[in-house]
Amino acid sequence: MASKDAQSPKQSVGPDYRSEKQKPIATVSTEVPFETVHILPQTPQLIALLTMIRDKNTERADFIFYSNRIIRLLVEEGLNHLPVIEHTVTTPVGRSYAGVMFQGKICGVSIMRAGEAMEEGLRNCCRSVRIGKILIQRDEETSMPKLFYDKLPEDIAERWVLLLDPMFATGGSAAMAVEVLISRGVPEDRILFLNLIASPEGVGNFAKKFPKVRVVTAFIDQGLDEKNYIVPGLGDFGDRFYTM
Amino acid sequence: MADIVSKRAHYSPPWADVCIIGIAGSSGSGKSTLSHAIVSKLNLPWVVILSMDSFYKSLDAEGSRKAFLNEYDFDSPDAVDFDVLVDRLRDLKAGKRAEIPIYSFAKHAREKETTSIYSPHVLILEGIFALYDERVLELLDMKIFCEADADTCLSRRILRDVSERGRDIEGCIKQWFSFVKPNFEQFVEPQRKVADIIVPRGVENRVAITMVIQYIERKLIEKSKAHRAELRKLGQSSEDDPLSNQVLILEQSSQVKGMNTIIQDIDTSAEDFIFYFDRMATLLVENAMNNIYFKEETVETPAGNKYNGLTAIGETSAVVVLRAGSVFETGLKRVLPDCRTGRLLIQSNIRTGEPELHYLKLPGNIETHDNVLILDPQMSSGGAALMAVQVLVDHGVPEDKIVFVTYFAGRLGLNRLTKVFPEVNVVVCTMVADFEERWIERKYFGC
Repeated sequence: MASKDAQSPKQSVGPDYRSEKQKPIATVSTEVPFETVHILPQTPQLIALLTMIRDKNTERADFIFYSNRIIRLLVEEGLNHLPVIEHTVTTPVGRSYAGVMFQGKICGVSIMRAGEAMEEGLRNCCRSVRIGKILIQRDEETSMPKLFYDKLPEDIAERWVLLLDPMFATGGSAAMAVEVLISRGVPEDRILFLNLIASPEGVGNFAKKFPKVRVVTAFIDQGLDEKNYIVPGLGDFGDRFYTM
Repeated sequence: MADIVSKRAHYSPPWADVCIIGIAGSSGSGKSTLSHAIVSKLNLPWVVILSMDSFYKSLDAEGSRKAFLNEYDFDSPDAVDFDVLVDRLRDLKAGKRAEIPIYSFAKHAREKETTSIYSPHVLILEGIFALYDERVLELLDMKIFCEADADTCLSRRILRDVSERGRDIEGCIKQWFSFVKPNFEQFVEPQRKVADIIVPRGVENRVAITMVIQYIERKLIEKSKAHRAELRKLGQSSEDDPLSNQVLILEQSSQVKGMNTIIQDIDTSAEDFIFYFDRMATLLVENAMNNIYFKEETVETPAGNKYNGLTAIGETSAVVVLRAGSVFETGLKRVLPDCRTGRLLIQSNIRTGEPELHYLKLPGNIETHDNVLILDPQMSSGGAALMAVQVLVDHGVPEDKIVFVTYFAGRLGLNRLTKVFPEVNVVVCTMVADFEERWIERKYFGC
């Protein structure tokens, strides 16, 4: 795990019309060479939101609020990958608009418990979306992830799946969750994995293993530490969201 | 910077070059009744009365002692702070906000608070010395001198001072003969010579009031014409110009297009419309927030790692351009739940199409806020947008701290706005043809 010492890129962030001097400098997401991995645009606002939730001094209420704002942006970006067909409508003022119509049914699947924190953000964008759940825990004997429970929509094979888990460290649970989905008949290319912060190792292994699953993340961090936590990360998302 | 200045187009709001009418006359001659009669006859929100009583000088201990003994000469020009008056009138003439002092007759001093006057199209300056100072005369568009019999004046004055200013009859009479009358002869009456019209019998004089009102109405029509011509002129050169790089249009991703399709479809139910519009509004406000100012900040995570991030500088407030702008409020509150929000009501005149400012309530210290979002879902000719930005600039908000957020915009309106205010940022969801009528608010509110 040499990646801990890897450096994340730093750059000035802000709108194009401002000069470099006017823009503050921040650490931005690491780039990865996979077409299926989509990183949210590194806007100053996104960086500020991430700064807020990484800060250990941020109170729980604020942590929840700012996480939800990022999650909403992730969901909006995730939905962007769903298929559409052309659809022209007439507007209330009689003009016509050549737009598009969403195709295909979707559902959410959250990896318990931290993934459930992202359900509200999904619901904010898709009011009556079905949401399945998967519980994966580390097996104490083998220290490998183990599937304990799942409850998924029956017709999941016909749906696009938004898989939710905020922290993408080694990607062990996510890989297992994807395997569960595949075993229920969901084609790989209809799975979108939404997460807030990922590690380059996790993303790399995952993208090689599932070359058609799309990953949408807000930020790819520097790396993993010896305990496989993301560095710099934000601590335990589930704890900070639910119990701390 | 020089570049920006040379490219900047000029916009003159309808309240610039306010028409000021001075009404002078003896105490008790019916100046204020006449002013009120003019205002109520006009029945317009842009006519404001400014009483010269507000500009009495604060009294020192000696003056104050005399004042309480009815021995201070309030009826002499020396009691009036003409310097401040001229200053404020010049601000108003230039279309700026003016802070008017409040004079307390109970304390014989200025109150700490002030009232502000902003954006009147017509200002009536009323006071015994309204036509006294040369500098004031230069600013007046019409000069009126009110006349009444001396005994009428005295009896009115006694009634007013006893009931409104808590004085006794004896004191009033003493003041009348020692100050009011001699001052009238020496300073007030000579103002007749500079007056354009002399109105005897005050409010009873219907002919005179009608004349004044016709004059004002004509002035207002001229103003409205000039304002509309100014807007047209701003448009002529800018229709085909490329958009300023301060204008950011949301990327037309399939998600944005899909939501746009639902929002714009005439057959979309009100429930869906509101849901998708709120969702889009949230995205727009999130995008607008990329145009505010940030500074570097390093934080420590719970695991003790450092992260070099950013934090927004200062306070971001919003100003909603009513009625339409309030469709953005749900989106705004999702991003900034405790955002201080000012409101201004701009309505287009049904007959002329001229945008008119009807109501204004801004956060008290808006000029100190680091970022101000203006919310209005549709920009067609840009008239309302120009007015809204002008209002903020007049209240001391620097142009480059303003982010104008709109759902629809036409090229003409965007170019007008950015030519006049080149440093304002604009965030637009979707471009439409120029002059699209406003319909978002109608669909959102169902009326």
